[in-house]
Amino acid sequence: MPRREITYLQGIREGLQYVLRTHPETVLFGEDVAAFGGAFKMTTGFLDAFGADRVFDTPIAESAMLGAAIGMATQGLKPIVELQFADFATTALHQLLNNAGTLHYRTGVPVPLTVRAPCGGGFGGGPFHSEELEAIFCHMPGIKVVYPAFPSDARSLIVSAVLDPNPVIFLENKFLYRHVKEDVETDIAPVPLGCARICRPGTDATVVTYGAMVHTAIHAAETVAHETGAEVMVLDLRSLKPLDTQAILAAAATGRVLVLHEAWRTCGLGAEVAALIAEQAFHHLDAPVRRLTAPDCPVPFAPELEAAYRPDEPTVTEALLDLLET
Amino acid sequence: MISRAIEERLIRLYHQGKVYGGAYSGVGQEAPGAAACLAGEPHDLYAPLIRNMSVHVGRGAGPHHLFRQWLARASSPTRGRDGNIHHGDLSAGVYPMISHLGAMLPVVTGGVMARRRRGIPCIGFGFIGDGGSSTGDFHEAVNFAAVFDVPVVFIIEDNKFAYSTPTSRQFRCANLADRAPGYGIEGHRADGNDALALLDLLARLADDIRARPRPVLVAVDTMRMRGHGEHDDFAYAPRELLESYRARDPIAVCRDALLADGRLTDEQWHALEASIRTEVDQAAREVAAEPAPDPRTLLEGVYAPS
Repeated sequence: MPRREITYLQGIREGLQYVLRTHPETVLFGEDVAAFGGAFKMTTGFLDAFGADRVFDTPIAESAMLGAAIGMATQGLKPIVELQFADFATTALHQLLNNAGTLHYRTGVPVPLTVRAPCGGGFGGGPFHSEELEAIFCHMPGIKVVYPAFPSDARSLIVSAVLDPNPVIFLENKFLYRHVKEDVETDIAPVPLGCARICRPGTDATVVTYGAMVHTAIHAAETVAHETGAEVMVLDLRSLKPLDTQAILAAAATGRVLVLHEAWRTCGLGAEVAALIAEQAFHHLDAPVRRLTAPDCPVPFAPELEAAYRPDEPTVTEALLDLLET
Repeated sequence: MISRAIEERLIRLYHQGKVYGGAYSGVGQEAPGAAACLAGEPHDLYAPLIRNMSVHVGRGAGPHHLFRQWLARASSPTRGRDGNIHHGDLSAGVYPMISHLGAMLPVVTGGVMARRRRGIPCIGFGFIGDGGSSTGDFHEAVNFAAVFDVPVVFIIEDNKFAYSTPTSRQFRCANLADRAPGYGIEGHRADGNDALALLDLLARLADDIRARPRPVLVAVDTMRMRGHGEHDDFAYAPRELLESYRARDPIAVCRDALLADGRLTDEQWHALEASIRTEVDQAAREVAAEPAPDPRTLLEGVYAPS
């Protein structure tokens, strides 16, 4: 099988091209996605390739975009909506929570809707272009939440998200768009929603994480291995809802767990993972589960402030060394 | 008439303590929904709100179906998962409302876009009140439909009160139809209590936008004749205002017009009224005896099976 290197952005792009090509019921819309190709150039050329009735721009109206997408999803289409930034989902949360998330429960009518939401910081986006809102999304019944870290997973999971009969929020880490590359096969491997993946094996401690922090965790684990010889497992959650609880509980068998995310701390995914392990894998633990997260403050703009806000390789390394000594 | 009979029966059941939760009715506001159903085709889509029982009835929901929903029976359209007027039937083209006003208007707009894309000459009817016309979603949906030329009739029922808040705290324009030019669409005013005149207007608009797709706004003048729900004594409504609309009850207005031009006789009217009452009463009795949902089904259907 021939292999080639693609970026995270190319992974998502190729997955989108695949579903648009193979599923005529898919439509893609959002702000600036058609002729302009999207704020991050994710959909450049899609208008020419798939036509104006399948790829189109909308007014700046997130609630109308998502509401219309819900209506389309009930009438045989599989809409893919691009929110220009995940931050802007907050102007349409009621469509997700109350319409998309409840319709199947209330009426048995499926809502096959995918909401793509570029998120995360590390590039000077400031408070309103860097937010990580996954905890809010995961709190909603009836919604699935996906957050890939690698180009191959991004390519496979966007396909799984679009073909799933439920509303799926597909979080794309903007920092990873052009920073992460991977050799992939030509064919898109199927990756089901709800499955975590061990992307670095280890027996001495575990980092449970997702998104850009997966890469930070892998680098920190390499540093720890080099300095101490300890081998740290890195579990990439990939899907945040449904959460792969079996994989998390199995990964806790190292006895030392650090949960890492660049989203806020209080009621974040870290709290959920730590509670799960405390409830069901307490007997495996040699040390309390640790959380390393962004603090509970808005995402700051200045590079000095954002560096202090966002977990990075030195802080993850330090947390792991501390955990290993506990 | 069926809508009125069902709602009056529900109000009685509520006051007998037999309805779980609140009781909300559209008594006095039956005309716009009834006219919209008669103006539409089987493949059209509707997004009714709490005052639009007549849309459910007009799209074929019978008394058993409606009482099951209100009495939260296992066989209700939402299997007991939602209550009162929060239901729909997409096989009949009716979206189930949520409580967040305005939120259904983009949904019905998107539904019409999808059906038309599949070659179905569908149009939509989206209902909102004077209060709901203040929401961001109302604006987003009408503007969205205007930009894409989606054929939806947005019907604003100005029923004078949003719960207890009068229209003076909802809008400053003289008439809500005046908003239409701001969206680049046509606005029409209509008497919300004259079903036959409304049917003429909506049938004409429906034919027109089906042939030349675009949204239109219709602001109808009507009045809510009871409190927001039956728990609300409606003491804030000026008596003279209420009486002026009571004198123009939409069912009486329609009956008088039909009798006057000979399309209906007194005997036919009374026979119709009696048969509806019998059917509604029987349905209410039968449904009350049906089983409640099984708590073991609580988690069923949160997700569609992948």
